[in-house]
Amino acid sequence: MALAASAAMGANLFGMRDRLLGSATPEARPAAVSRTADGSATTPTVITEPQETVLRSQPWWQRVATLEGSGPTTSAPFTIDDAAIQWRVVWRCESGNLVVREPAASEPLVDANCPGGDTGYSTETGPTSLAVDAAGPWQLQVEQQLDVPLVEPPLPAMTAPGTVAETTGSFYRMDQSGTGVVTIYRLADGSAALRLDDFFVTPNVDLEIHLSPLEAPQTTDEFLSVPSVEVAPLDVTAGSMNFTVPPGIDPSRYRSVVIWCPLIDSAYAAATLVPAQP
Amino acid sequence: MVLPSSGDPRLRLSAVIMTLHVLGQTVLGFKVSIAQILVSIGVGALIELAVTYRRQRMLVWPASGILTGSGVAFILRASGTDNGDWWSLNGIQFFVLAVVLSLLSKYFIRPGGRHLFNPSNVGLVWALLVIGPNHVFPQYLWWGPNDAAVAVAYAVILLGGVWVLKPVRMAPMAASFLVPFAVLVGAFAASGRSFIAIWHDGPIGGASYFLNVAMSPEVLVFVLFMMSDPQTAPRARAGRVIYGSATALVAAGLIYFQPTEFGIKLAILSSLTVVCALVPLIEAAARRVGQPRGEAVSTLGDARPLPQRLVAAARNPAIVAALIIAVAAPLNTAALAGNQQVILIERGLTGEANAQ
Repeated sequence: MALAASAAMGANLFGMRDRLLGSATPEARPAAVSRTADGSATTPTVITEPQETVLRSQPWWQRVATLEGSGPTTSAPFTIDDAAIQWRVVWRCESGNLVVREPAASEPLVDANCPGGDTGYSTETGPTSLAVDAAGPWQLQVEQQLDVPLVEPPLPAMTAPGTVAETTGSFYRMDQSGTGVVTIYRLADGSAALRLDDFFVTPNVDLEIHLSPLEAPQTTDEFLSVPSVEVAPLDVTAGSMNFTVPPGIDPSRYRSVVIWCPLIDSAYAAATLVPAQP
Repeated sequence: MVLPSSGDPRLRLSAVIMTLHVLGQTVLGFKVSIAQILVSIGVGALIELAVTYRRQRMLVWPASGILTGSGVAFILRASGTDNGDWWSLNGIQFFVLAVVLSLLSKYFIRPGGRHLFNPSNVGLVWALLVIGPNHVFPQYLWWGPNDAAVAVAYAVILLGGVWVLKPVRMAPMAASFLVPFAVLVGAFAASGRSFIAIWHDGPIGGASYFLNVAMSPEVLVFVLFMMSDPQTAPRARAGRVIYGSATALVAAGLIYFQPTEFGIKLAILSSLTVVCALVPLIEAAARRVGQPRGEAVSTLGDARPLPQRLVAAARNPAIVAALIIAVAAPLNTAALAGNQQVILIERGLTGEANAQ
């Protein structure tokens, strides 16, 4: 009997082994499709359904609502995703006091003197609204923290006439795991943008996307041996995402993209850039 | 204490495996701790000492128990243990379980009065399949860059193999495994098969597939030091050749569909589990081959009609246990081919808590 039971467990029948001993991967959940909860930050070139995935990102903040006003009010309802780890209200006010409450909560999210600004946190999920009691002008930004990948469609400018995919590369491991493809676009207006597709890097906070003149750096020391430039912070560590390259950086002068962790001075992963196929 | 004779092949095998353990700790980067190795050996030795004492009222040097513990620790890895964590007891329960189950199979699954399965093999297959890829994994097929350390390891394995196999006359068995296995894996490589492994970016195909699977030091250790156990291999030369070839065929059949190193390693280990269960049939077949034509040979020495033999077998717990193991091992191994968790682990996509 014991042998038969262990044979069934070895087959993970009905998820028996995962339930008893845990799983290497979390439950599949839909990926996020935008940096905003209502998708307003994305003008999709292709409408896509959120994909189910077992991959997880470093927790990142997705905008849910932006509220502003002067004096007391109650906000329109908004919904905090059930999968959110926590959510926060980033606030600023000009004069008097600012008190922000959830209807069902005993403690206010914000109770502060103005002028000032800070952040209040909550972990309750589901539909909610905010009751604001203020004597002067105020601004609130509501953000929820997710750990699902972000799968954004390409920016419209990336597929517009006159845009060229200049270089591309596949990520390889350096100090940590890294997979996926990077493509750098020269947009029709002369600026540049970078897209990561099917990307994953070992999660950590404060990662950065760098461009390096090295063709294929293999170690952190080698990466540090020549100056690189930061393109953008990498707050989401899994999925497909777009980044604009800051003005003043000419990507054609660089030969690789490196995911850099400044906290521990470690090059996590890199991709050698080669000319993209037209 | 009754000590083994100086010519006991188990002492030679222990010496070779311990040398490889030392290389693994010092220059090959094996992700196993000295404490895990010692506890595995200690558990194996204690169980055998106790069983032998209970049966014979004598303290006998537990050479087989030591080998079983050492063999388990040589291949089993607990997630989260790194090379250099010398005294780590991380996941020690998995090592203990594997050794205990290895020896339980030796003492309880004895359909013909002789243990059927190679103890460390069946314990490892059980641990890797039942505990699963989230907690344990097998030693990598790739032992490191082709440097002096790996060259020394190959030398120890090959010279040790000759030293160990000669007295037990297992060289033909080893050749009968290695040749068809290499040919089949070469054919898979040529047909475009590939696998993924945590230590490599992207799929491993072509010549690298062949070299990493067919020429892996792990495969050589498996053939020369695990399959060659004279207690579980057929006794006759013809039977040993059938046993070697059959293991190669089953291993290749299970490997073909595996997209991960974890699956390939399990395929190799499970092939021996299956073929060990068939050893009584292989021995009967070998006897038939060696018998003059026209002379009747009873199957397994049992002259009863087949239905009666089947009923008797179904009432024999050892045979039922052997059957469950022999069927479950390859089926569960085959199922690894579609296991998304293993694929994500091997691709390094489960984050910092990656099992390997």
